[in-house]
Amino acid sequence: MTILIKTVSRRAIVRALAMLPALPLLRGLPDSDPDEIVEVDGWILKRSDLA
Amino acid sequence: MIFDGYEAFRAADFAPKACILGSGPAGTTIARKLSAAGIPVVVLEAGSREFSNDSQDFYRGITVGDPYFGLDVARLRFMGGSSNHWAGWCRVLDGLDFAPKAWVPDSGWPIGRADIEPFLPDVRDILDLPAFRPDVPVSDEMRWVQLIKSPAVRFADKFADELDRSRNIAVVLDTYVTELAGDGKRVTGARLWSNGRDAGSLAVDYFIVCTGGLENSRLLLWSNERTNGGVVPNAAALGRYWMEHPTFEGGNAILADYGAFEVDAVNEAFFSPTLSAMERLRILNFGIRLVETPYPGVKRIIADLACVAPDMAEWTSSQLSQNLRCAAQLHVAWEQAPLASNRIELSRTDVDHAGVPRIELHWRKSELERRTLLEGLRLFGATLARKNLGRVRIADWILSGADYPTNQETAGNHHMGGTRMGTDVTTSVVDADCKVHGMDNLYVGGSSVFCTSGQANPTTTITALACRLGEHLGKVIAN
Repeated sequence: MTILIKTVSRRAIVRALAMLPALPLLRGLPDSDPDEIVEVDGWILKRSDLA
Repeated sequence: MIFDGYEAFRAADFAPKACILGSGPAGTTIARKLSAAGIPVVVLEAGSREFSNDSQDFYRGITVGDPYFGLDVARLRFMGGSSNHWAGWCRVLDGLDFAPKAWVPDSGWPIGRADIEPFLPDVRDILDLPAFRPDVPVSDEMRWVQLIKSPAVRFADKFADELDRSRNIAVVLDTYVTELAGDGKRVTGARLWSNGRDAGSLAVDYFIVCTGGLENSRLLLWSNERTNGGVVPNAAALGRYWMEHPTFEGGNAILADYGAFEVDAVNEAFFSPTLSAMERLRILNFGIRLVETPYPGVKRIIADLACVAPDMAEWTSSQLSQNLRCAAQLHVAWEQAPLASNRIELSRTDVDHAGVPRIELHWRKSELERRTLLEGLRLFGATLARKNLGRVRIADWILSGADYPTNQETAGNHHMGGTRMGTDVTTSVVDADCKVHGMDNLYVGGSSVFCTSGQANPTTTITALACRLGEHLGKVIAN
């Protein structure tokens, strides 16, 4: 931890902490192709069907 | 001419060049072709003009393996044969069905679809069919295919007058060929049983066995046993590679647009894979029958709900005093792998009234077919999803690997193989002209010559092959 604090500026750490509340927004971004075919309980669906 | 028994035929002093065994679609078609070529032919029909329990009893047998229909109800033994109860569904085998497939052992025919296409106009006339239409691609991997629901021609009804008037064709009813005699090169005669008793024998130049997809093997197996191989000298494949079209409910579907595919009069549309899909997935051919239920308005919404929440839909529909099902059901029929182990044997314990051993059918569905069912439904579901045409749900029993249900269609009453066509005498019985390997004057007509089953109902292809064999024999016999 000491090494990390030494190599990363305090300003950068503060910026990162300030961004934490915005992380849940990233969950809304697709992590894979929305047209990808998935199988759920026997249903053959597109991933976008699950949004 | 139609005779009610062999005695009457013998008294008529008719001298045929060829003898056809069986008056079903294959036998009748070949007889009409030979007659058109000016060749006198006798058609021996084991049954009479009408159905009778006594005649059907000759077809009793047993099945060893997977559950199957009673062998005495899966076909009919009277004039016109099993055309008397077929449903009339027509489609010719696909071109891809004739091709060998590296992932399907013992697949491939010695002929191609092009060899029977010249006879399709004849087939349309015989079966009263409209024009065939080409398949419509749904994607690179699925086709929307045509399956014609024809008026189901009963061959005796349609052709009895023509046969009766014919001077070249003699149909002899109640005359059962119990065995053929042969010397390993030629069939020398047919042993007859007519009107409940031995009726002597008949010798002609050519014999064409068209007694059906089970009975052809039975007759040839028994004849071979009685003559020490004198009828089918190369008998390694005789009775083997028997196939059906297993048919089960595969799941259901919600469609985005119930007008996307033109359905037939009973709201059905049919889909099959492309060769590239079969190759990629290493599966067999299959046909999905999508059955739409044409509910209007709010009933449609409830029926769609029935696909995803059946209990909720049942409650809702009960409030409307309705019984609504999921709006589209999927039934799957598929090609069977040609396996030598699926075979017709002669019973060692049971014989019919004429003393001929009954059939013991050994039949099992294979793992490749189970995979074809599952992967085929996945392929169809993925195709509909990608095209936003709908969503498919695969039935639980298929996903879980449970046993096949015992309360569904089971199969199509389609009896194929047993005397399959080929060039290798160890895996086939007849050559590309339907002539028994090593025999000069013995031919086989009907679906027993199928090398593979494809997914299409067989009668259209049976009739096409019969036209081809009839024209070929017309030339052979005339020369």
